[in-house]
Amino acid sequence: MLELRRVSKHFSGIPAVDDVSFSTRPGEVTGYLGPNGSGKSTTMKMITGLIEMTLGEILFEGKPIQDDLIGYKRRMGYVPEEPYLYNHLSGTEYLTMVAQLRDLPALESADRIDGMLRLFSLHDDRHASISSYSKGMRQKILLIAALMHNPQLILLDEPFSGLDVGSALVLRSLIQELAARDKVVLFSSHELDTVERVCSHVVILHRGKVVADDSIERLRSLMELPTLEAIFSQLAVEQDSDSMARQIADLIHA
Amino acid sequence: MRKLINQLASRLPLEFRVLFRQFLLRVIDLEALSIEADVERFLGQFAGVLIMISFVLAARLIYPTLFMDQAHTASFLREMTLQSEQSVINITFLVTGLITVISWDATFPDRRDVMVISPLPVKPYTILFAKISASAAVLSLAVLSLNLPASSVFSLLLGPLSGSAWGAIRFFCAYWFVIAAGSVFLYGSVLTIQGITTLLFPRRITLRISALLQLAAFALFVSVYFLEPSTPTFGALTQPQNQAFITWSPPYWFLALMNQLTGTLPPSLAWLATRAWFGLGISVTGAVVSLLFCYLQTMKRTVEEPDLVPGAGGLHWAPRIGSLLQTALVLFSIRSLTRSRQHRVAFAFFASLVSAIALSMVHAETQAQKPTPVSMDYLIPTFMMMGFATYGLRSVFSLPISLTANWVLRTTQLRAPEKYFAATRITMFLFAVAPVWFLSAALSAPLWPFSAVGGHLLVLALFGSLLVELCLIGLYKVPFTCSYLPGKLNIQVVFWGMLIVYSTVVLSFAEFENQALRNPNQFAVLVSALVVVIVGLWTFNHNRAKSAELYFEELPEEPITMLRLIIAPPPRSD
Repeated sequence: MLELRRVSKHFSGIPAVDDVSFSTRPGEVTGYLGPNGSGKSTTMKMITGLIEMTLGEILFEGKPIQDDLIGYKRRMGYVPEEPYLYNHLSGTEYLTMVAQLRDLPALESADRIDGMLRLFSLHDDRHASISSYSKGMRQKILLIAALMHNPQLILLDEPFSGLDVGSALVLRSLIQELAARDKVVLFSSHELDTVERVCSHVVILHRGKVVADDSIERLRSLMELPTLEAIFSQLAVEQDSDSMARQIADLIHA
Repeated sequence: MRKLINQLASRLPLEFRVLFRQFLLRVIDLEALSIEADVERFLGQFAGVLIMISFVLAARLIYPTLFMDQAHTASFLREMTLQSEQSVINITFLVTGLITVISWDATFPDRRDVMVISPLPVKPYTILFAKISASAAVLSLAVLSLNLPASSVFSLLLGPLSGSAWGAIRFFCAYWFVIAAGSVFLYGSVLTIQGITTLLFPRRITLRISALLQLAAFALFVSVYFLEPSTPTFGALTQPQNQAFITWSPPYWFLALMNQLTGTLPPSLAWLATRAWFGLGISVTGAVVSLLFCYLQTMKRTVEEPDLVPGAGGLHWAPRIGSLLQTALVLFSIRSLTRSRQHRVAFAFFASLVSAIALSMVHAETQAQKPTPVSMDYLIPTFMMMGFATYGLRSVFSLPISLTANWVLRTTQLRAPEKYFAATRITMFLFAVAPVWFLSAALSAPLWPFSAVGGHLLVLALFGSLLVELCLIGLYKVPFTCSYLPGKLNIQVVFWGMLIVYSTVVLSFAEFENQALRNPNQFAVLVSALVVVIVGLWTFNHNRAKSAELYFEELPEEPITMLRLIIAPPPRSD
């Protein structure tokens, strides 16, 4: 189980994430939602150990992650929000490097990389430079890199970004399949429709604070709203979108 | 003057000025070369170095005449005329050549330009003129700085030798015409070759060929400068053994042109000057035509064609080097060095120093009548090469390749920092110590038996190891992954520092080694001392690496010392 206890992150004294607590269990896909700048990616980076939290505690399987960060990293797979990769490497070179950094046996990882490249329809492009890859192809490389060591904790920050419809459908099923195999999956996205289909539990963040933490079913019945989109709009969207669109159009026209 | 320039510049179209500024930054995009990424300051320092070289060239002519009477001065200057002209032309060609290598591809439209500027209402010729102007600005600054003091001194001393009252003015005009023409010829030739490659081949092949051409051009400019025979008189130029070389050597064409314009060229060498005129015409025409074609025809192609297309063929062999981590980091380093233009050029700067020293050695040894025993002339250059290679590689390691992609190294950091440190050590051995060692061994092979140089090669290997350990002190980062403070590389300081401090140390060390090579006991002491120092440094580095943390960001020194008594707000009591 992954557990965040009163986690906060301040940048120059300004709270980006403020007193966030929630937990996610094996076999469960937790959706982590929030508008832009609400602190989702900052939380993800704290969970991966990329940035340090100002306050609070993150526990994985009951132990603070800082106690054995290396052991924790071995069991974690992470897809970041932006597909930042080393563009001068080819797909195969990048994945092989990640496998070597993860200390995976050479032959086994080569087979696994080859197989995953085939399944993600990247095999023909495996020797091309990543600089020539589309956003979707980069996203697939990130997914392979995050999953190839069979992690127990899977952190997905906007994993559907740039994927075509077919690949998105595969990924949706894959997330559910991984959860069914007792993995802990934390999934951040703006695609509420997908979150509604995939996640059993959601955490909604607004201005760095948790404003909802429950199953989608319970949220629907508690708030008496039909969809996750409606729940999200009520909890985390401040402005009237129609009025804002009108103002932008007026400004352009002026 | 500045006001006048600003007034003139303000008359140019705004889009041209904006693009010019951007492209000027791009031409010298080696931010590492600059001082705190300040372009004007960098250009100022760059010009300063060249002006100093120019003063040295001028001093070679002025200094001896201070101690001569009038009759001797005239004959000395006559003797020195051709040599002096040759030296300024050669060094101008070298500097122009190096600038074309550094600013490689800067004149042609790249994908970034097409993607960013094309959607804007900017005409292709504005982009073309802005790019040419940016490259020309850097080139002109270099040529002017390099020749301003030398041209004045040469004109005043060598011009009057013709006996004409207008001799100095004629010499000055001829000098500047030839220097400008030579630079335009070289720059135009490079543009023509690049343009032809761009027009003939698909983009993905062009990119590959371009990288090879860049290195080839670099090797050519350095080789010509260091290997070109010196011909002190016109008589030597007409010698049959020199004909083949001068026929195909552009610096000689422009030397002949300078003398044609000053009226001192023998008629038998007029054909050489004619070559300069033809070469200039072909080069300028080729550059203009290929640039126009590139801007009009290939800009769209740049968008349509990917930089690299998928390819399952080819050789994709990746050898295992030590542990998995070491293999990953060594391969990452070699790929970064060979595939990134910025890193390639920065490394080429140091490689140029190494190759220049190596070529000077070859030149000196081939000029000698017979091979001498292992001497200081062999020992010193090998130590200099080792120094430039190791420190150069260490400096290039500091240039990040993609900071945003470093998250992967941080999330996969599963081993202790000393393992990463060991991988960096292997990389330094493979790319700095080993190449210089093999180069030194290869250069000695035709001149001396292995038994004569074996001792030095052992000392050189140990010396290289010592330098690696020195370079590794405090280097707790993965090569090419740490952000750097702009200007930290500070090549100018490194260059002069190495030249003055390091060469002094090397000189003393080589003298000691030279004696030790003739005395087995002394040699054993030298080797033992080196081993002890290396082991000591290795232990020091290893122990410090154990408790160190890998870092990915270079933080500036704080102007005020912070006590850091409060590091976080106190926890809330609710």
